[in-house]
Amino acid sequence: MSLSYRISYVFLRNLYSYKRFILPTFLVSLVEPLFYLITFGVGMGAYMGAFGGKPYLHFLVPGVLASAAMMSSSFECLYGTYVKIVHEKVYDSLIATPVSADEAVAGDIAWGSFRGLISGSLMMIVALFMGVAPVSVWRAALLLLFMVFIGILFGSLAMIVTSIAPSFDFFSYYTELIMTPMLFFSGVFFPLDNFPGWMKTFAEFLPLTHAVRISRAVFTGETAPGLGWSLAGLLAFAAAIFTVSIRMMRKRLIK
Amino acid sequence: MAILVKASGLTKKYGDLVAVAGIDFEIREGECFGFLGPNGAGKTTTVRMIHCVSPVTAGTLTVGGLPSGIDNRALKKITGVIPQEINLDIDLTVAENLIIFARFFDIGRREAKARLAELLRFVELEAKAKCKISDLSTGMKRRLLIARALINRPRLIVADEPTTGLDPQARHLIWQRLRQLKAQGATLVLTTQYMEEAQQLCDRIVVMYQGKILKEGTPGRLVEEEIGKEVVEIRTPPEDDARILGHIAGFDCAHERVGDTLYFYCRDGHGMMKRLLELDLPNTLNRPATLEDVFLKLTGRSLHE
Repeated sequence: MSLSYRISYVFLRNLYSYKRFILPTFLVSLVEPLFYLITFGVGMGAYMGAFGGKPYLHFLVPGVLASAAMMSSSFECLYGTYVKIVHEKVYDSLIATPVSADEAVAGDIAWGSFRGLISGSLMMIVALFMGVAPVSVWRAALLLLFMVFIGILFGSLAMIVTSIAPSFDFFSYYTELIMTPMLFFSGVFFPLDNFPGWMKTFAEFLPLTHAVRISRAVFTGETAPGLGWSLAGLLAFAAAIFTVSIRMMRKRLIK
Repeated sequence: MAILVKASGLTKKYGDLVAVAGIDFEIREGECFGFLGPNGAGKTTTVRMIHCVSPVTAGTLTVGGLPSGIDNRALKKITGVIPQEINLDIDLTVAENLIIFARFFDIGRREAKARLAELLRFVELEAKAKCKISDLSTGMKRRLLIARALINRPRLIVADEPTTGLDPQARHLIWQRLRQLKAQGATLVLTTQYMEEAQQLCDRIVVMYQGKILKEGTPGRLVEEEIGKEVVEIRTPPEDDARILGHIAGFDCAHERVGDTLYFYCRDGHGMMKRLLELDLPNTLNRPATLEDVFLKLTGRSLHE
């Protein structure tokens, strides 16, 4: 892989282009998770009573934070990157410069991760107004750092899909058949305890399950069993997916 | 003159498709070298290999003495690319396009700003610095592409059909600028389908067809060798051919019948016209031979797609 500080140039390019869309994208990345918080958290939560001794919203917020970071980074590396490759030809002009294709892709993953971080931060602020906050400031900071990681992981995963996407429509397979189901089977909205055994096992294969578990532990300060394994597994998975995504995108870009 | 780009047996395959079929050429420092050919001849593929965005399948290619594929970053640093397709960053303004591009070449902000002003002046876009790309005309976009290609002060400039879709004013301005760059010492590699463009700009050209180089030489020389000095065109039905050819017997010229037209390629077009006048033919035209005649003769007159 040929990666260097030039990744930051690609990030900078995205930052420049982002200036014009900053308000709409802020709003868009806020709306969906906000919906979850209001409908499930406030609306349904009222009927659920205490959830491990606390209101349901306290259970829900860290899960929604992790999924918001996943959604933003994924969409950026699916649609955003695809547009830059096929329609805007940004990649064509980039790879004719000393910036390598690998750096261009890594820069976009970094950018997706940044978008995930923004979504997560916005959600955290909204949750704060609803009276739900991480137990300490340093845990809040740790959570933001973890969202950067979630962004890199799911951004890389999305990048693999983008590397083989023949058209825009292709992305709905990934978003509808993989991302949306993952959202419901990863313990974002309810604990996995009541799932039958095979479903629990299945859930353990979903990266979001582990991301949510860690996010919740950092947020609430309560440790959960298998936390270390979750983190180690995610780190290894992210490293592998990142490498594969760069290789596959290289194949698409260099002909 | 030193050789800047040297290719031998240069080949590019996409699966079973052979886009470039083992070609040899040398591009000298400071010259303008043109690749001519119909669509699909392999011109763009060849120049993409020269500026290191497309890996070589077989054969060797060196730029500035460095083999391509070893340190592409170093080669890209000395190269400026004017692409065929307008790939300006539409999310950025005119000035931002250049500033950001300068970053890609490790050019600092202050230096980039200085070059920005200089380059916008060079392509006559000073007034458009803050404009969005979508507000530019095609000619302006092409000029901005030139400015962008020059941001790193390249030794080698690769221009892939730089005037496609432009009106004559815009085209002439671009020609002016490209000649100016050459005068300043840059080496130019040009692909084009416009024979006039090749004649205006190129010191030497190669005519490519189906991935191979058919001919190489200076534009004037190729015209002279392949066609002669002048062309006489007569639009007549083929039935007249025998009568016309009989009448001009003795003239030193080649002829060709294409559709409704009989072409004569000769040294003394004027004398030939005089003789033909005796036949009282309609629609007869005498003109100097051009590179277009060479091109059509070498690559055939039928459509290629």
